[in-house]
Amino acid sequence: MQIDYLATVLLSSLSSASILLIATIGLAVVFGLMGVINLAHGEFLMIGAYTALTATQSGIPYVLSIPIAVVVTMAIGATVEILIIRRLYGRLFDTMLATWGLSIAFYQLAVLIFGTVSPGIGMPRYSLKIGAYSLAGYPLLMIGIAALMGLFVYGLMTRTVYGMKARAAIQVPEMAQAIGIESSRVNTLTFSIGCGLAGFAGAVLLPIVPATPSMGFAFVIKAFLTVVVAGPVTLTGSVLAAIGLGGGASITASFLTSVAGDAFFFLVTALLLWLYPMGISAKWRRKM
Amino acid sequence: MTFSEKLYKSAGLTFPIIATGAALIAASVMNPYLAYVATSWIIFGLLGLSLDIVWGRGGLLSLGQTAFYGLGGYFGSVIVLNLSPVTGNTLIWSLPAGAAFGGLCAAALGWIIFFARMGPLQSTILSYTLTLLLWSLTQSFQLDVGQASIGGDNGLSNIPGMVLSFGGNAEALGPVAVFVATILISALVYLLTRWLMKGTFGRVVDCIRIDAQKAELLGYDVRMYQVANFAYAGAVAGVAGALFGAWANYLSPSIFSVQEALLVPIYVLVGGLGTLSGAFVGAIAVGGLSYWLGGGAVGGQTTLILGVVLIFLVLFLKNGMLGALGDLWRQYLPDTNAAARDAGAVSIDPDVLEGLLKDAAAQAGPAKNLATRDAFKRFGGVVPVNRVSRLFEPGRPSSLIGPNGAGKSSFLKTCVGIYTPEAGSIYLGSDDDITRAPIFERVRRGMGVKNQKPQVFGSLTVFDNLWMAAYARTRNKTAATEISGKIMGMLGFTNQAAVQASVLSHGQQQWLDIGMVLCLTPRVILLDEPAAGMTNEETRELSSLVRILARYTTVIVVEHDMEFVRTLEGHVTVLHQGEVFAEGDIDTLRANDRVLDIYLGRRAHV
Repeated sequence: MQIDYLATVLLSSLSSASILLIATIGLAVVFGLMGVINLAHGEFLMIGAYTALTATQSGIPYVLSIPIAVVVTMAIGATVEILIIRRLYGRLFDTMLATWGLSIAFYQLAVLIFGTVSPGIGMPRYSLKIGAYSLAGYPLLMIGIAALMGLFVYGLMTRTVYGMKARAAIQVPEMAQAIGIESSRVNTLTFSIGCGLAGFAGAVLLPIVPATPSMGFAFVIKAFLTVVVAGPVTLTGSVLAAIGLGGGASITASFLTSVAGDAFFFLVTALLLWLYPMGISAKWRRKM
Repeated sequence: MTFSEKLYKSAGLTFPIIATGAALIAASVMNPYLAYVATSWIIFGLLGLSLDIVWGRGGLLSLGQTAFYGLGGYFGSVIVLNLSPVTGNTLIWSLPAGAAFGGLCAAALGWIIFFARMGPLQSTILSYTLTLLLWSLTQSFQLDVGQASIGGDNGLSNIPGMVLSFGGNAEALGPVAVFVATILISALVYLLTRWLMKGTFGRVVDCIRIDAQKAELLGYDVRMYQVANFAYAGAVAGVAGALFGAWANYLSPSIFSVQEALLVPIYVLVGGLGTLSGAFVGAIAVGGLSYWLGGGAVGGQTTLILGVVLIFLVLFLKNGMLGALGDLWRQYLPDTNAAARDAGAVSIDPDVLEGLLKDAAAQAGPAKNLATRDAFKRFGGVVPVNRVSRLFEPGRPSSLIGPNGAGKSSFLKTCVGIYTPEAGSIYLGSDDDITRAPIFERVRRGMGVKNQKPQVFGSLTVFDNLWMAAYARTRNKTAATEISGKIMGMLGFTNQAAVQASVLSHGQQQWLDIGMVLCLTPRVILLDEPAAGMTNEETRELSSLVRILARYTTVIVVEHDMEFVRTLEGHVTVLHQGEVFAEGDIDTLRANDRVLDIYLGRRAHV
């Protein structure tokens, strides 16, 4: 086996893992800071993708359409938090059911508005040559984007007043309230940021994953499993789980078949959950 | 008991039977098309019932019930396609095959979830993953099994309808007869489910939902019950799937779709979570409403509407229709919890207690020692149990004291099995190594535990709480009733037998929890701060109880109340930073300067 082939496989696997991480990180933020699983996360991704698509179609440059997608999803996210999530704090199953209902409603709305087939936008054409192989450049760019998103979230949680408040509010809610943190406002912002990250993911992945109403379902399975495997320490846990599961699946897929890649993903997930039933980070001492 | 009260108690039996009868009468005048459509509502109700068993009773939200429904349906139909040409009758094949396959698949998933002891989030997501996986896998799954040909997204067609008579050229039933058959089958499944849930199996499942740790501390193998409950629900879903295959004559991967799965919790929530019959009420209400609206009015937007309906249900109608009716009805019934106000005082009768303990010794054998050898537990950098070697024996109570953070409760939890030690070992009796044994196993070998917080099953009555504990050990209903009755009398709870445990005061809950431990007739008793929340008189009673207990069993008490520890007149161990710091009787320790130092923090000693 040549070294250039190996490098190609490694790079493309890393980029698959990064794509998984990009799609997951918003979900992980909301789960880590609010203890809420947003089953409509995939649909926020879809909303982000359609927003970016619509913006590009009306003549706005693609790069500028990404912040628009973020703003739109953040606004919808904040509304959803105030109208639904806030009323269900501490009721894990009910929150899941309500966001599930939301997910299906968004899906059907997208079918109504956009139909089931949408044109993709062309992938920016540049590529990287490694020995005899060439790799599309845009998916490789995702490695950098994923790293930037991770750094952004880390900075947000550790370097800003909001981040400190949010982390305090999830760890000891009563104490956080007692020292004057208005946790409901913090939570609205957290949920909105989580949805914004999903919108960003949908927009930035648009050249790779064309917008369809059902794209959310396709993405969420792996994103959910990543967060669930990650456990309570969501940021580090999700990065590790995404690289391990997504990267491993992609490597398996490139040497065997794509079905084998999926099988790897689900089997390793099941194995990890068997060994760490509350997630791999359940017993870690670090909390970020 | 008034008629209304009697009717309320048996409502889960009376009304479903009346409803079944009414449906059968209605069937005789029903037009065939309505009968055909209504059959599907009943089938969906059965599917809803399977979720209610898992979620309302078992306490796990499963988004995978349609997976077992679809798997049972596919499997049952494949069998029928091959065997019914020979026998005629289809139901003798499809129902058992559907139930068995649905149950088996559920048992496999349940085994992974419950034996790994996954959290609620992990369990729900895993069940949802199964559904989504099946949805995408079946799109391209093609297989020919004899006469049956599963054709990916073309589905499985030509499934025979319901045939009751035997023989090669038996005729399929007409729509009204199918409706009647479906109702009778569903009623049977419902009655079986209700019988299971009213019986000891269902009561243990209820206890596990309310407090799984406490159920395990009573000696129930929580995992087995949970898997069994999940598998039973899977079998019910499989029966529903087999009925659906016969009704539609066709199955396709859309049975695994999210839209299909979404309906199941809607049925349960509309009808009322945990009521069992609510699933049918919900399915008929939802189905009937869309039939009445004609389908055309809402057109293709059913999915959108259902999504929104689910959100509203979760937000505003938590108890569903039957739940709301039940709440209303209860307002007109005498309040069974009223008796909580005129509580009798606890008075420990040494004769009754000793009688109980002698019986216990005769049945369960003599008291057992509890020994730890170099038990070691760490959490990151904190070492709450640092190489503790102790031997606890019957005769005198053993007390563990020490300042906050000394590792008392952690030591107790290591002995109980809530924490697994990193090193060292724990022995029960002479040489029974229980270091790795799960909690329920330790309880079955004679350990009885009361944790720091009183753990009672809040929605069960006082008597049922004690009964569940007594039954856990005796596995005999009559014996359990006798033992729990005696202990209830001794604790002064006779008037409050029918009161819900959740309305008792903190001190009364402590007594009830202690009573549950006594019902286990343990050979070693571990009590974590039993006197917390008790009045002075109650503390005195507790002291005499502990002293009598110690004559017949090994008793270990963790306590902060020094006066209480003094009255126990037993052996005292002082823990400090996870290690044994000093030991002896309380008066010697009170005179010990080093012990006073760590309690008062006077000098930097360590």
